[in-house]
Amino acid sequence: MAKTTDRAALDTWYVVGRPEDITAAAGTYRTRLLGQDLEVRPVDGGYIVREADAGGPSGDPLPVRIAYGHVWSTLGTPARDLFPIDEFAETDRRVATCGAVRVRASGLRLVENFLDMAHFPFVHTDILGAEEQPEVPKYDCEIRRDVDEVWATNCTFWQPQAAAHAEGGQMTDYTYRVATPFNVLLYKTCPSDQARMDVIALFIQPVEEDLSLAYAVVNVVDPVSTHTGIIHFQQMIFLQDRIILENQRPRLLPLSPRAETPTRADMSSIAFRRWLKEKGLRYGVFEKNEPIPSAA
Amino acid sequence: MALVLHDYELSADAYKARLLVSILGLDCVKVPVDVFPGRETDGAAFRAVNPRGTVPVLVDGDIVIRSPEAILAHLAARHDPSGRWLPRDAAGYAATLDWLAFAAHDLKAADEARLEEMLGLPPTVADPLGGTRRAYRILDDHLVRQSFDGLPFLVGDTPTVADIACFPAVVLSIEFGCALEEYPKLRSWTRRIRALPGFVAMPGVPEFL
Ligand SMILES: [Fe+2]
Repeated sequence: MAKTTDRAALDTWYVVGRPEDITAAAGTYRTRLLGQDLEVRPVDGGYIVREADAGGPSGDPLPVRIAYGHVWSTLGTPARDLFPIDEFAETDRRVATCGAVRVRASGLRLVENFLDMAHFPFVHTDILGAEEQPEVPKYDCEIRRDVDEVWATNCTFWQPQAAAHAEGGQMTDYTYRVATPFNVLLYKTCPSDQARMDVIALFIQPVEEDLSLAYAVVNVVDPVSTHTGIIHFQQMIFLQDRIILENQRPRLLPLSPRAETPTRADMSSIAFRRWLKEKGLRYGVFEKNEPIPSAA
Repeated sequence: MALVLHDYELSADAYKARLLVSILGLDCVKVPVDVFPGRETDGAAFRAVNPRGTVPVLVDGDIVIRSPEAILAHLAARHDPSGRWLPRDAAGYAATLDWLAFAAHDLKAADEARLEEMLGLPPTVADPLGGTRRAYRILDDHLVRQSFDGLPFLVGDTPTVADIACFPAVVLSIEFGCALEEYPKLRSWTRRIRALPGFVAMPGVPEFL
């Protein structure tokens, strides 16, 4: 597949790799974004990202940002700079990046799964949810026009093990934030300090419409867990999601509401899909005029 | 003294060890290793434990074991009073070792297919998916023959370390898009393993198969 022509997909920021994986010693780093091959080259204090084909790199260097444990770039001209995440400036926090995991699904499906609390008891049983307490309590959801983001606030959920170092269950407060169509974050009550919020982000590099690289990053107040323990907790959670995601059909995200009678849990999905529709985003979106095949 | 297992939650090989430890109800301290993305297995500290740079590694007192099938055989030989997990009769012993070697060699393709599909790690075998299907076919055919003799497991009428060694490569097939529809006996065999007392899952092991 060739580079997309979808302006809404092109004119925004994406992770293209992790600094640990893009080193002079490791050689030329090749990756793919929105159907376009890229070459990432480490240089003094930064990176040069260029489009590439079989003959090597071509064209001008693309914009680059180094932020939140990852290297970012864009194939277009974003209207805004990379979205801020204030917690990364707080020095007592621990940051762990979990590496790139491949998923055969639209990145938009990954975002929607990330927003969905209803699956906690069944997919992350006895960790992020308990089968005896499947209720998704009422929450608020809005498209914030000033920042052009989708937010779900005042979310709560009963969690047997909310984080790597959690001892026993807690009622966890959640805030969800879709910063761009392929980058999503959540803020949740920190088990060791109820006054602060842990941040978990899922940055998605859409390789093709139906193939994604998912980079999870954890930014937590956790004086106890080892770095490895924090990574493994998050990897375990994401690998549980990955099976569900790979088996969803269609692999692309339909923009029509997923249920005829939406439940409370669907509110954030409805807002997310409406926001995508308003943007005119087509990349990773299931064409509405095609019949939807039944689940595989 | 408790066993020490150098472990990675997402490693199919490490899962073999965790599964038997749990089934045998053994005390085991797990030392998580940052295999991906940290490549801790390439570092000097880990190489001192295991020069091969692989997980799992089992430490049992003075004994250090660095390959998953050897770990299973050791756990059964030393920590299974029933003696059933590593049969001592000549035929059962030979068959068990034979299937342990099958898990280490033929089913390696499935591990490589999974790691390539999930983490983009380059495989060391030419056609990991093709190799996986060939290995599944051999296992499925064998289980068909076993069923003619009324034997539900790879070696006999009770599970052995051979079943544990082969199980992860089969049950994680969904993670690399290899459906088990063509291998009906393989599917019913995974359900029997799932039903064993002390069974534990890992991420990627489907609830129903
Ligand atoms: Fe999930």
